Amino acid sequence: MMELILCGRGGQGVVFLTRVLGQIAAAKGLNVISSETHGMAVRGGSINSHLRIGKFYSPLVRQGHADMLVSLDRGETANNRHYLRTDGLIVENSALEDEPGIKRIDATAIARDLGRVQLENVVLVGFASRMEGFPVSGDELRAFLAEDPRPAVREMNLKALEAGLLAR
Amino acid sequence: MTPHTDSSVRFLMGNEAIARGVIEAGCGVAAAYPGTPSSEVLESLVRWKKELDHPIYVEWSINEKVAFEVAYGASLAGNRAMAAMKMVGLNVASDPFLSAAYLGVRGGLVVVVADDPGPHSSQTEQDSRFFGWFAKVPVLDPGTPQEALEMTLRAFHLSEKYEIPVLLRPCLRVCHARQNVRLGNPAALADVGRFARNWTRWAAIPKYRLVLHGQLNEKLRTIVQEEPESRPRLILGDGSAELAVITSGSVSSHGRDVAAADERLAGLDVYKVDLPYPADAAALQEVVDNHETTLVIEETYPVIELQLKDRRTVLGRLSGNVPPQGELVPELVEDLLRSVADVPALDRPAVEVKPRRPSLCPGCPHRPAFFMIRKTFENAVYTGDIGCSTLGINMGAVDTCLCMGASVGMAGGLAKAPRPGDEHRVVATIGDSTFYHAGVPALINAVHTRAPFVLVIMDNGITAMTGGQPTPANPNLADGSPGAAVDMERLVRGCGVDHVQVVDPYDHAALKETLENARTHTFDEGKGVSVVITRRPCVRTPGVELSSQKFRITEQCDLCMSCVRDLECPAIHYVKGEKRMEIDLDLCAGCGFCVHVCPSQAVEPKGA
Repeated sequence: MMELILCGRGGQGVVFLTRVLGQIAAAKGLNVISSETHGMAVRGGSINSHLRIGKFYSPLVRQGHADMLVSLDRGETANNRHYLRTDGLIVENSALEDEPGIKRIDATAIARDLGRVQLENVVLVGFASRMEGFPVSGDELRAFLAEDPRPAVREMNLKALEAGLLAR
Repeated sequence: MTPHTDSSVRFLMGNEAIARGVIEAGCGVAAAYPGTPSSEVLESLVRWKKELDHPIYVEWSINEKVAFEVAYGASLAGNRAMAAMKMVGLNVASDPFLSAAYLGVRGGLVVVVADDPGPHSSQTEQDSRFFGWFAKVPVLDPGTPQEALEMTLRAFHLSEKYEIPVLLRPCLRVCHARQNVRLGNPAALADVGRFARNWTRWAAIPKYRLVLHGQLNEKLRTIVQEEPESRPRLILGDGSAELAVITSGSVSSHGRDVAAADERLAGLDVYKVDLPYPADAAALQEVVDNHETTLVIEETYPVIELQLKDRRTVLGRLSGNVPPQGELVPELVEDLLRSVADVPALDRPAVEVKPRRPSLCPGCPHRPAFFMIRKTFENAVYTGDIGCSTLGINMGAVDTCLCMGASVGMAGGLAKAPRPGDEHRVVATIGDSTFYHAGVPALINAVHTRAPFVLVIMDNGITAMTGGQPTPANPNLADGSPGAAVDMERLVRGCGVDHVQVVDPYDHAALKETLENARTHTFDEGKGVSVVITRRPCVRTPGVELSSQKFRITEQCDLCMSCVRDLECPAIHYVKGEKRMEIDLDLCAGCGFCVHVCPSQAVEPKGA
């Protein structure tokens, strides 16, 4: 059983990450159900996804039940923190230092250095996969992203993933 | 764990699962108009069609009424057919929908109508199950993507068996949920045989409509008797508890999870009604009679509750126990279950959420158009419309938003009802897809009545807000097969408009001049409605290249904030502490409109 919230701003690729994690977990034979934000909010508004692994029928995580919060935007962390268990972990895209319960990586800066700021989501998920209890491993992410049929996209995603896996 | 790949299981969105069900049912014709949360049904149908090399015909229709009629025509021709839309789309399609219930169908006809409790991306929280009841059309209400696939197959079966349209009502939490879904095998195209002339049925005059109404009532009675989905199904518990919960749709999934996760709630019996209309009222009453108390939780109207005759031990919306508006999220469901099970209420910490507001994308061609409209037509009433163009609200350039096409119809009324002393200037804005959908009749009306307003059609070539579906101006159909492109300018002239000008909204000087010409024609010369078409592709259209030119803000900036307030560009922000404005180069799309509109002329190209 694992419950996860992913959040960010519209356009940052929260939905993409949710699908990647869900597809990998589903391919492992796990029961997965998730919920995505679509519609007006994707025009730069607040976006979150819920991902639940285990015997669940509802796609929504209740307040105080998420094991982990993966955030692409610091402002959105605050908007979703109430979903987290009191002992849950926050993995955040931010230039700030770690705090108890919050692991940070400046995924935006790393992605910009790679030449494409849009890769920040892949950098962040690589970093998150190093955390204990994260539902998919770096190897599983690598194998999944390597299957992208578009050579340029595949290469950039794999670069971003390695950057997240190796950072600091 | 050993990884394994089971090709019959996929991680699918509810809407993708519905589309898969449509294919597996041997459906031959599908039509839809996009609208959140329904749009992915037809989009994924196109993908299934290609993946399976399936012969199904798919189209994005001009609106939901036409989509329904296309599907209905195909059903009469003997095919299985589907129409998909969001719940307010069913309002548009309501005329043929209600009539079709009387006439019935030949090939199975399934209408997928996605509801949006919340509402998250819609004008209303209407319950399409209630619409089904009003229309006397059976409604299936899935609780998960897996169930959505299975119910799609059942919907086609029931429709054909009883010769009646069937409504499949997934809520947002099914449409946009993803789950590992077990797939079945696509059936061959269904065919009930050729259309045969029978005007007392297919073109029935009122005398025969009475007969058909009787037949429709009989069909509904038989469905209640014969079909197990009309009866409550126990999904948790053993039926012997003191407390029963009756649910339907995605709330049933919340209820089931919440009750299963808490042993203090383990004593509840949770029931789900798969076919909430027409439900078996006697079977529902039996559940109520066999329990001391029954809680009914359903979205968003009391459809099951109203079908219960004796509600003395029933808690729900009618008794005031369930909130009458808003989405029934799991937290709310938990509070409701706790309150009936006498489990102490949770002390939930107050949640402070400051959601970021949506805005037009950086480089969006609507932005300069709205900016210039405000500048050219000061103190006007700006009637707005549905879609990305609604976001003109942020720029103070949209005052009203009623429904699809209402910017044009309402502009006619506002312009005809001036108050003494008012200049009563009205400027309507509408996106191209919305104009095709419902703006055209209103524009003809405005021409005929000489209604004095300016209409700006913001033509970005696609239905942008819902994900970029093609409009009738696209030469290709939904699956890329060739269609015929409809010419917007000819259409507008064909409506009888004399003054029509097309302009690129990125061209600052031309945009200003074009809007001023319209102002002269309509307001100064009093020559009736004028139309400006601002044309430039949506920045999200695949293949649209953004300019690589970047801009910077110079020391001439006096912090007037016009770029934030009036232009509302998401790429420009104030840097606290440093008391300066900054352009976020990650976001900037290089449109350069800020160069022209900055009152201090403090924006210049980088490298200049």
